[in-house]
Amino acid sequence: MCRNGSDRMAALFSPPLYLQRYQFVIEYVKRFIPRKVIDLGCADCGLLRKLKFHRNAIEVLAGVDIDCAALRERVNALAPLTIDYLQPSPRPLTIELYQGSVTEREPCTQGFDLVTCMELIEHLQLWEVEGFSNVVFGYMNPCAVIISTPNVEFNPLLPGLRGFRNKDHKFEWTRAEFQTWALGVCMEYGYSVEFTGVGVAPGQNRDVGFCTQIAVFQRDAGVSNGPVNNAVQMEPTVYRLLYRVVYPSLCDNNIFQRTLVCQVLYRAESLKREFELGEQSMQSDLTACAHSLPPDVVAGSTVVYRHRSHVFVPLQHVWTDPKVQALCGNIHRLRQALMDDSRVQLDTDRDAIILPDEGEEEEDEEETGECEEGNLTPSPVVDNSEEDWETEIG
Amino acid sequence: MTGRARARSRGRARGQETGAPGAQPPPSEEAARPVPPPSAEGELVGRGRQRRAPGAVASEALLQISAGFQQVKIGERGGRRRDFHDAGVHTRQLMEHVKESKTGVSGSKIELRANFMRLLSRPQWALYQYHVDFKPPMESRRLRSALLFQHDETLGKARTFDGAILFLPHRLHNTVKFVWKLKVERVQITVTLTNELPPSSPVCLQFYNIIFRRYKMLNMQQIGRHYYNPDDPLNIPQLTIWPGFVTNILQYESSIMLCTDVSHKVLRSETVLDFMYNLRKQCGDQRFPDACTKELVGLIVLTKYNNKTYRIDDIAWDHTPNNTFKRGDADISFKDYYKTQYGLDITDGNQVLLVSEVKRMGPSGAPPPGPALLIPEFCYLTGLTDKMRNDFNIMKDLSSHTRLTPEQRESRLNRFITNISRNTEAQNELSTWGLSFENKLLGLTGRVLPAERILQGSRTYDYNPWAADWSKEMRGLPLISSMPLESWLMFYTRRNSDVAQSLLQTLNRVSGPMGIRMQRAVMIEYEDRQESLLRALQQNVGPDTQMVVVILPTNRKDKYDCVKKYLCVDCPTPSQCVVSRTLSRPQALMTVATKIALQMNCKMGGELWSIEIPLKQLMIVGIDCYHDTAAGKRSIGALLTLLCVFSGALKAYWKYNNCLPSRIIVYRDGVGDGMLQSVVNYEVPQIMQSIKTMGEDYMPKLTVVVVKKRIASRFFARIDGKLTNPPPGTVIDTEVTRPEWYDFFIVSQAVRCGSVSPTHYNVVFDNSGLKPDHMQRLTYKLCHMYYNWQGIVRVPAPCQYAHKLAFLVGQSIHKEPNINLDDFLYYL
Repeated sequence: MCRNGSDRMAALFSPPLYLQRYQFVIEYVKRFIPRKVIDLGCADCGLLRKLKFHRNAIEVLAGVDIDCAALRERVNALAPLTIDYLQPSPRPLTIELYQGSVTEREPCTQGFDLVTCMELIEHLQLWEVEGFSNVVFGYMNPCAVIISTPNVEFNPLLPGLRGFRNKDHKFEWTRAEFQTWALGVCMEYGYSVEFTGVGVAPGQNRDVGFCTQIAVFQRDAGVSNGPVNNAVQMEPTVYRLLYRVVYPSLCDNNIFQRTLVCQVLYRAESLKREFELGEQSMQSDLTACAHSLPPDVVAGSTVVYRHRSHVFVPLQHVWTDPKVQALCGNIHRLRQALMDDSRVQLDTDRDAIILPDEGEEEEDEEETGECEEGNLTPSPVVDNSEEDWETEIG
Repeated sequence: MTGRARARSRGRARGQETGAPGAQPPPSEEAARPVPPPSAEGELVGRGRQRRAPGAVASEALLQISAGFQQVKIGERGGRRRDFHDAGVHTRQLMEHVKESKTGVSGSKIELRANFMRLLSRPQWALYQYHVDFKPPMESRRLRSALLFQHDETLGKARTFDGAILFLPHRLHNTVKFVWKLKVERVQITVTLTNELPPSSPVCLQFYNIIFRRYKMLNMQQIGRHYYNPDDPLNIPQLTIWPGFVTNILQYESSIMLCTDVSHKVLRSETVLDFMYNLRKQCGDQRFPDACTKELVGLIVLTKYNNKTYRIDDIAWDHTPNNTFKRGDADISFKDYYKTQYGLDITDGNQVLLVSEVKRMGPSGAPPPGPALLIPEFCYLTGLTDKMRNDFNIMKDLSSHTRLTPEQRESRLNRFITNISRNTEAQNELSTWGLSFENKLLGLTGRVLPAERILQGSRTYDYNPWAADWSKEMRGLPLISSMPLESWLMFYTRRNSDVAQSLLQTLNRVSGPMGIRMQRAVMIEYEDRQESLLRALQQNVGPDTQMVVVILPTNRKDKYDCVKKYLCVDCPTPSQCVVSRTLSRPQALMTVATKIALQMNCKMGGELWSIEIPLKQLMIVGIDCYHDTAAGKRSIGALLTLLCVFSGALKAYWKYNNCLPSRIIVYRDGVGDGMLQSVVNYEVPQIMQSIKTMGEDYMPKLTVVVVKKRIASRFFARIDGKLTNPPPGTVIDTEVTRPEWYDFFIVSQAVRCGSVSPTHYNVVFDNSGLKPDHMQRLTYKLCHMYYNWQGIVRVPAPCQYAHKLAFLVGQSIHKEPNINLDDFLYYL
């Protein structure tokens, strides 16, 4: 909805005004690092799609709109990307979309750090605005609220505009009207507010204010919300849940373990390969004496070594991989994590990863090739020699 | 099998010479631009396709013949217009003798199951296409949909609407007008029927595919054209494998069916930047640029900030993330762009950028926007590099995960079918459209062709048809013809001198019974370095040398390439390379030596065995393309025999047979999805033209068969209550073939593990009058004639030879082999 009037304004603003509004929220998120953000009147989730990339510490991203079709339209763009699976993020992220009205109370919408409400209130009937304030500030009671709405004083500068900027607008406020309402809200629900906006008037007309006026509310007595509880996913009672996706993250133990093991084995395998290459070049240099070099089979060794038909790669070596470090933090945690995993084989001291020495088991093709598939009846062999396809063509 | 057609060929890069139409010149700072973000107004591909004219096949296909060598250049297929299923290529109707029936008769019947499911629809089902007009015109598509869908009672629940075109499964009475009051304005909506589409029309088929995908793909991740399940990955070091399915719905012989097969996607959690760091560490600064280009160009990468895949076409060595590009009116650096657009930080400001030619059309049919520059740090590698493909261990791990036995495969397919039938949302949607799928795999009857009798000189023998292998049967039998080996060399390193000696002895031992007369080889030791190997070759190989055997210490490609390059181009001599490891096990040495002896004999022009082909004066030609990803060549490779080369083959036939063939059968392999039309339109006429050059009155009968190995169709047989692969020689020519083609499937080879993949043969031109049965039998017979394998192979031998040659040229030689070798199977 917020973009309907954008054609008219497209010529005036670069980047387009809606992007400037998004950017405003992005900057806010960057500064105040909220963990739970909900966008009221999110339409086709443009802002959510942006915030998905500019997450900072956001762990829950929710959107509410009354228009189910609009919500569904680009819902796929909120799904995790292929890379989110390949490189799970260290932080969890859940994205939820609800269909519902912002004048109704929904328990799921409580406990948010930031509520954004871009170009929404002007679509409400004036008499609904009070109910809206009550729901957002009184009931949802988030730490911060960002509300934007058109500044009607700016309208004369928009070429060819008669009436409101959008047919569905029920009202458009002057700066004074907006501020009166906002200050009233602060009084009633214990918030403080700052006014700003995006879309600066061109040339001499600065005194009309921003094209979009924005109020940023901060809850008094700065009590922050409790920690995000991801384990309990509430089902909405008033709204309808249209979409929920939990991004793969390292907080999920299975994913963490899988990612770690994968990285560790990769590192170990490449160390093993380096080791084998070293052996080979040694052999071709010193053909005669290569075999007599005693392998350094000492427990707690810090070099890769071969023992019987296995290659031992010390954890110390694997640990040098920055990706492994980033995953585990310290080598004890690494050891701990690998101990319980059936995909990794550790030596008795838990100091080295044991990898099979593949050099040996290469070709058994000849042998397996001999196996017969016995009791199957072969189809009869016809005697071709009497055929002549040429004559059959006719 | 006399005219063993083969020709010189050479790979050449394309893309460097012809850019896509409208593409910009190589990236300069102004022209370079990063990949456009998924714009809010971006069009949806699904809808775009729907709007396409029925049966439209890429018209931009163009074909060029280069002046120097006889190569075919297949032009860029126009972006998304490419039809991967080659629908709309109607070749069968032009062949009188298969209009009625294209099925064969030989062999014994066998009950099979195939990975197909029938689409069931009501008998009178049709799709109705309407045009929807809004007065006054409305900008917002969402609003248009919302207004239109207010009229559920008239339109019904099943509908799709893209803003202008509406599809319904039923007919509305005449033109429907709705009037809708929107605030002050009156909006008049007019719905007019424009088209009635029968169930098998291309638009309908596309429509099924779209509907089907929408529901099947819950929780699936789309990569390229297919969908994969990310929640259940298989991991092997450095690789992640996602299981998934490929599906398509098409009109097959008697009904519309869904073909579905298990597919795996190989992904890597390594960025291109990581890869570059490692590579630089391995090969040093000096060799880095070359190595980097060689390894990376041709690979497909996945970007971090969207789900798009790009092919790396080049590396912009003079670009870093600090370079700028035009965005709107202002210049912005890549670094800032990614920061503001996606909140992504570039850690290495000195990384060079990757170039990808974007083939996709711009919005609303605009020309492609030119090359995109990508940041290595944000690009993830997918698929396998050639290096990995050559890594035995990786491939073993990989195949242990991805190779499924017939039973495993069937159970996965059944699970897939169950999931669909249990998915209520999918079922509801399908049933509102009046569609449903048969909930089981298709059953059909195939035929098992009789096994062939192998002729070897005066002796004949049969083989076990299930094993499709006669290496044991031929042991101790003299070959049809063998070349006496009088002057030959064996090169070895000092470390392998023992191995070389025992190889020599064993070769001597095995060659006697085969009828190969073998003198002692001249043994030459070389130092384990490429230069000294080359020097040894230069010093010792002379004009009288019949054969060169080189024992290589490792399977590193460079030495092999060096040998082949020298002995194929500079000093034409048949050669045989053996990796020392193959010879290291004494118990396998006899087998290995036998194979080597056979191979050497073929390379010098000997004949091993033959089979009976009841046709006279027959020339068979194999054509294949080599796709060299590493060298950045897309699909230009060695083509065996075309145009002049084709007439060269005819001349060679003349030389050996003193007559021209009265029948020519061309097997064309290496035709990609969606390229069939250009084979029919351009290659067939070319072949005919080159036949004409032999004389106006020379009119042989010509058959052109397109061979496809990479297909999604699978067949299973039930034998003794166990689900197995169909036996070698199984022919399928009903149900799952396409009505507009003269096509059939043959399972010719036997596999030891996993499911066998059938080969698809599509006869696109045939004035020979040969019965379908004979065509099938001939094709199967030819699969017996690949001398490098004492058994049945997947494709007719000429194709396999063409493939082998194309691969050798493309991978190792990169030059046209010396003409003196043309009459030999030197490339085996």
